[in-house]
Amino acid sequence: MERKIGVYICECGPNIAEKVDIDKVIDAVSSIDGVAVAEKFKLLCSSDGKKFLTDQIKKQGLTHLVISACSPKDHEKTFMEVCENAGINPYLFQLANIREQCAWVTEDKAEATKKAIRLTKAAIKRVRYHTSLEKKEIEGIPDVLVIGGGIAGIEASLQLVSSDRKIYLVEKTSSLGGLITNFEKIYPGMGSGSSIIKQKIQDVNKKENIKVFLNSEVEEVIGFFGNFEVKIKKITEEGEIAEFNVGAVVLATGSTLFDPKKTPQYGYGKFDDVLTSLEFEKMNLSGEISLKTGKPPKSAAIVHCVGRNEKGYCSEICCMYSLKFVRYLKDKLPNIKVSNFYSDLCIPGKSHQKFYEQTKGNNVNFVRSSEIEITKKGEKLDINYKDETGGKNNIPVDMVILAPAIEPTSDAPKLAEITSISQGNGGFFAEEHEKINPVSTSTEGVYIVGSDQGPKDIPATMIQAEAATGKILSSLIPGRKIEPEVKTSQISESLCIGCKLCLSVCSYGAITFDETKKISVVNEVICRGCGNCVAACPSGAASIKHFNFNQLYQEIMEAVQ
Amino acid sequence: MLIIGAGIAGIEASLMLSKADRKVHLVEKTSYTGGTTIKFEEVFSNMECSTCMVAPIQQELLQDKNINLLTLAEVEEVKGSSGKFTVKIRKKARYVDMENCIGCDACFEPCPVSLKNEFEEGLSERKAIYVPCAGALPNVPMIDADNCLRFNGKDKNCKACQEACMFEAVDFKQKDEQLDLKVGSIVAATGFDIFDPKRTPQYGYEKIDDVYTALEFERLYASNGPTEGNIVLKNGNVPKSAAIIHCVGRDEKGYCSSVCCLYSLKFNHYLKSKIPEIKISEIYTDLTIPGKSHQKFYEEMKGKEVDMIRASEIEVAKRGEEIAVKYNSGNGKKSDLLVDMVILAPAIEPNDDASKLAKILGIPLDKYGFFQEENSGGSSVITSKPGVFIAGCVQGPKNIQDSVLQASAAVGKILSSS
Repeated sequence: MERKIGVYICECGPNIAEKVDIDKVIDAVSSIDGVAVAEKFKLLCSSDGKKFLTDQIKKQGLTHLVISACSPKDHEKTFMEVCENAGINPYLFQLANIREQCAWVTEDKAEATKKAIRLTKAAIKRVRYHTSLEKKEIEGIPDVLVIGGGIAGIEASLQLVSSDRKIYLVEKTSSLGGLITNFEKIYPGMGSGSSIIKQKIQDVNKKENIKVFLNSEVEEVIGFFGNFEVKIKKITEEGEIAEFNVGAVVLATGSTLFDPKKTPQYGYGKFDDVLTSLEFEKMNLSGEISLKTGKPPKSAAIVHCVGRNEKGYCSEICCMYSLKFVRYLKDKLPNIKVSNFYSDLCIPGKSHQKFYEQTKGNNVNFVRSSEIEITKKGEKLDINYKDETGGKNNIPVDMVILAPAIEPTSDAPKLAEITSISQGNGGFFAEEHEKINPVSTSTEGVYIVGSDQGPKDIPATMIQAEAATGKILSSLIPGRKIEPEVKTSQISESLCIGCKLCLSVCSYGAITFDETKKISVVNEVICRGCGNCVAACPSGAASIKHFNFNQLYQEIMEAVQ
Repeated sequence: MLIIGAGIAGIEASLMLSKADRKVHLVEKTSYTGGTTIKFEEVFSNMECSTCMVAPIQQELLQDKNINLLTLAEVEEVKGSSGKFTVKIRKKARYVDMENCIGCDACFEPCPVSLKNEFEEGLSERKAIYVPCAGALPNVPMIDADNCLRFNGKDKNCKACQEACMFEAVDFKQKDEQLDLKVGSIVAATGFDIFDPKRTPQYGYEKIDDVYTALEFERLYASNGPTEGNIVLKNGNVPKSAAIIHCVGRDEKGYCSSVCCLYSLKFNHYLKSKIPEIKISEIYTDLTIPGKSHQKFYEEMKGKEVDMIRASEIEVAKRGEEIAVKYNSGNGKKSDLLVDMVILAPAIEPNDDASKLAKILGIPLDKYGFFQEENSGGSSVITSKPGVFIAGCVQGPKNIQDSVLQASAAVGKILSSS
């Protein structure tokens, strides 16, 4: 088919017209083979400009469009829409930036004009090598797999479920609820943790469209946003496997505590009555706080930051739950003396300082300290520490509660691998973007909520569950099709040497290896066109549509000629 | 849907709702989007360029056909209940046509009026027709009618800006408008303000030169700011030493503002990257750096040879050419240090108009003046009024990540219930 390229130069009012001799640009490109028309216009992005372009495309019967104007960031989308409405494929268009990259930065008008000619010619050259790209649409399955039956997973399930959306809730233990079932109270409101979760579990059980799998683990998640094939396996009964398809996956697998045995100075596992925070929560929930001997403690120490140095991060919630423990102790044993050994009091946010101030009081001690060592001294446990002035000190107590760091569960690496996401700082699941996309991951359609993403308290966990719900409900709508990326990578069957380098650099799990043909294959539905595989490929087999080697080479050659 | 506030939280909520094919009215008090986030050059802890992080979503917002962005607009009245609110909006005239203007800035120069630029914390000047900073989106100026000679009556014939405009975009005939909207849900995401350090005179703010607030310092470092990112003292010299004072106003407010330790650490990077030999002291009480990424960041910053001083009873005074920072150190000893520059990290507090908006929305404030969450079932984005949600610092001090999370969570609540 004969190419009829239309070239239009935008004056952008005085912005380009004053710095670039546009008539000279038109002269320089008019006679290029294939250029059917070259004209200027005052402001192409205005409604008059768009109408002018539409009329031109139709009247001149153009097959390709080149516009020399502003940055693609400003108006590439505008002009692609013009193409679409006028009946030519929007990818048969190229925008040359002669404003930001030329008129605005080149003082000398003759030089600016020369540069504008080069940029326009390069765009004309490039557009010849463009091919039409078509939008694809795939059916999206609205159902969701939620991994982890703690408060985060339950909350997400309850918010996601509807008459046209099924939820598969997979929990590896024998019951729903997670860690919160151990908490008598939740700071700062001091509502009952166990009763909140009981209510929510009842709600889950009432929902026909939430299918709960207890004692089960996810074995395999293959596919892409809109259609993941999932295999789950019962842990107890060998071989029992369930298979189903979902559109999205929510990871809500929680966290665990740092093992204080790794820091022997705290005496955990060596001395009686040295407890972890979770052990103390359980003891408190049982209704009685007592020593191994059965007697109530007369004094207790709460040691913050256990394992912080080893892990390299602050676990965010330990100061606050330690304050809550002071209240547990004081509620049950009003005369008990409690000493908090801390380094920095981390109580961010509007409600926490008040909680701290209300917790301070009779026989409650806050000791800023370091180099803590716990020894046995007669019947008592002795807390040896260095105080703020650097002096050595000690306080004997009956009971010690350790606040160990929060760390990812032992199956986090396996789950990360199954869902093709990465683990970031501290081994927690990594967000797509720390700031502006904190529940999404590098695998589209896989979301992370709760403390598997990082240490956090119940309110923060709930917010993440709700946030992931928002992401899913706004993008995976029953009956609506999903449009995957158009500018994807492709791997040439004849050029691929089967070295698998591309598999190792693909962040999205979009490339698989065809063992019979011994070549890499791109799944275009998953690929986001990042270009990693293209850069890594040693044989030139991988390329990105619309940014392939020849398109770029021709454009650059023309520009530097 | 009605979203109030086009900062990072409001933008996130708007884009997500639009994606779900909801029609969104996004009401913003100022002439630009991006809120406080676009005042930052870089964000902790990965030191990403903040405007680069936000600009793509601001662009997306402007091009989104489901989103009706109403700038220079405020909510005046809300009636009705969840699913059927009627809302009155007052939208001030911009006097510049959003369609015709291409943002070429030609209109600024001829304007005869010069005054302090609020966006730059008063550190630079602007005209009566202006954009708050280079790169503001939408990149369309506004006329400040209170100070424009034509509108305040000082020179009714002035049309310098209109004559300079090549696109007939300056339109003196625009009028303030009253809009009536019908919406199903409302998300309030109006952000925060900082505590005014003048209320704690011991820090010398506005009494002593070169005592800055954190936001002023952000603009001093910003490449699109008043000094194009050059950190200089009032006398034009480069500071040789600086003290960063945490927790300004914490005692007065009664809470920890959660982000100050981290952005103060970020300021180390700002200072050291521009002035490698500068001596920096961080004066703090308790280091609050929660979460998986922040201690690593702290250690990196500490590696820049900063003096971390735990102190109380801080007092800032002029001493000769320098500024003396007096304090009680941890062991009760009185000490002081001499610096060229002081940066204060003031508490985060609710906006001036938070209480007015709360009244209009019919939701309560907490004891600190932030919007009170209902906290039923543990969620912090629900209010006592069904259909009205809150997101970002309007609910309490928080960082960008947590603001975005609340915005997404509010959308989750809206979409799962309707």
